[in-house]
Amino acid sequence: MLDKRLIVVSGKGGVGKSAVSGGLSLLAQRRGLRVLAIEIGAARGLSSHLSAGHLDFQPKEIRPGLHAMRLVRSEALLEYLSLQLRVPGIGRFGAIARAFDALATAAPAVREIITIGKVLWEVREERWDIVVADSPPTGQIGSYLRAPVSIEELVPSGRIRSQSTWMRETLADPDMTQLVIVNVPEELPTTETLETTKWLEAERLVSDPVVISNRVVNQVTDNSLPRGTAGEMVALHRSIWEEQQTWLSKLEDKGRIPYLFGVFTPGEVAAQMSDHLERIL
Amino acid sequence: MTTTLLVTGAGGVGKTTIAAAMAVHSARLGLRTLVVTVDPARRLATALGLDTLGTEPQPHTEEPLLWAAMLDAGASWKAVAKRHADPDVAERLANNEFFIAASQHFPASQSYAAADSAVTFVQAKAWDVVVVDTPPSGGGIDFFTAPSEMADLVGGRLLRWITGGPIPGRRLFYDRAARPMLRVAGSILGSDLLERVSEFLLDLRTTYDGVSRRGREMERVMSQAATVVVTTADPAPVQEAVRFYRELPAVASTPAAVIFNRALPDIWIEASTPDGSSPELRQLVEWWSLEAQRQHDVRREFSSRHGANVVTVPWSPTPLTDLDRLAALVGRDADLPWESLGIGPDSVST
Repeated sequence: MLDKRLIVVSGKGGVGKSAVSGGLSLLAQRRGLRVLAIEIGAARGLSSHLSAGHLDFQPKEIRPGLHAMRLVRSEALLEYLSLQLRVPGIGRFGAIARAFDALATAAPAVREIITIGKVLWEVREERWDIVVADSPPTGQIGSYLRAPVSIEELVPSGRIRSQSTWMRETLADPDMTQLVIVNVPEELPTTETLETTKWLEAERLVSDPVVISNRVVNQVTDNSLPRGTAGEMVALHRSIWEEQQTWLSKLEDKGRIPYLFGVFTPGEVAAQMSDHLERIL
Repeated sequence: MTTTLLVTGAGGVGKTTIAAAMAVHSARLGLRTLVVTVDPARRLATALGLDTLGTEPQPHTEEPLLWAAMLDAGASWKAVAKRHADPDVAERLANNEFFIAASQHFPASQSYAAADSAVTFVQAKAWDVVVVDTPPSGGGIDFFTAPSEMADLVGGRLLRWITGGPIPGRRLFYDRAARPMLRVAGSILGSDLLERVSEFLLDLRTTYDGVSRRGREMERVMSQAATVVVTTADPAPVQEAVRFYRELPAVASTPAAVIFNRALPDIWIEASTPDGSSPELRQLVEWWSLEAQRQHDVRREFSSRHGANVVTVPWSPTPLTDLDRLAALVGRDADLPWESLGIGPDSVST
């Protein structure tokens, strides 16, 4: 997977998207790749998992070979406008940027193309071997991945339309892009993961998305049940295992990351994640 | 008077289940209770008698004082158009591609829909308690700021930005070429799109008076509501819970409690394996006591740092599919501050 140029990580809210993104970024860095990790939107999950402190629009090197940035739409838009209009001093374009942002609020796909477009521009950069995008949840990822297609349908002319072709092709190219859906084997996340994969298959926006199951508990082979508190623990563990089996059987996953017992900090979580991902990939 | 209880927190922590459980508890105290829910798991929806998707409250067949309603952001936006716009404009809006997109993708749209429905139900005065499962949003108090954001959207702020001046008449858009800014936007987006968006925003603007009046009503109801924050002991939802604790007092009330879902008993921290147990079981017990310790530390820190009333709800590995188990979830052991939430035997109206 790390031979791709872009890894898009999604999943239902709360399944550990940012932890997996952090883990993947650390693993890629450990393998000597030049990595850009992108945190999309207001959530601060990735920066805390990478112990990166405050991230902003300018990529910052947080370890040798690993850069991280936070992608905020308004800044991506300003950058896009100043590049497209080839005028320095984007401050003068504040009014245009606001007008544009207003359009993006109302027009489908314009908002998303600015975000996913910035990610894809970074993929084109020679500075990075791989870009890891901690992306919006599965509920929204469809409209981001589909944005280039939607623009082609919605916008009959204009510069944004002429750029949507290479964006669509990059996302669909199996050598370039890998979508990773993080799932926790429970009812709601699994249902959403299945809906998403089914939709993606029909839309053919990306090729062969993979599912990584997170927080999976191991099977207990010892059938005895100790008395007292220990017995309660074993019973809980077994019933979590049983419930998880139901949902694991409903989808095919690329690999499973175990439940991390007693792990405190986001940084520790990402470090352990990267070890497990190394085994999986 | 109707008690409004807003159940907030990050996505994926069991907020919907806990809102449902609190509603069942309330109904069983003899209070006519409505739970307004967002995207419940199928088995939970079944338990609540919500097999048929409907935004209208449905009485539960087995629990006489319990009603449930499910939210649909798209439907609620259509209702907004219908309520606040002229019939022909409302019709045009409902079929407009931008309207449909905005109702699904405008960041505050699901929150607005939830708040709007909830306030409608509170104003109906048909229930003693309305429990609202607030939708997962961009984070923090988005739910509470949705009415003003919506008023902003329809109020023409976007229109003014697009046109760079005061709200023009419809035909002014056709002079678009005169405005350099629109020319630039047109060259990037295509002028056709620009025109269609502008037409849409002009239509939407006619709902402004109604929407802003409604927004103030919504804010009033929310400011009088009781709130709880649901979380697990995992770092990300805890971070989100902290945001709620900081931000809620300004828009509603100080949360009556922070509910830690999937909690392990403190007694597990000291657990040991009986002599002669297999290494496998020893390992397992060690893991779970570590986890219990971690959870305990997270809760203690939350309580001391934020002065929060911390309540725990036990880890229930299988989904709760019947009302008895739901009610038990927040029952005696959970120790929720029911009285300060306005949900108690004394709250039964006569």
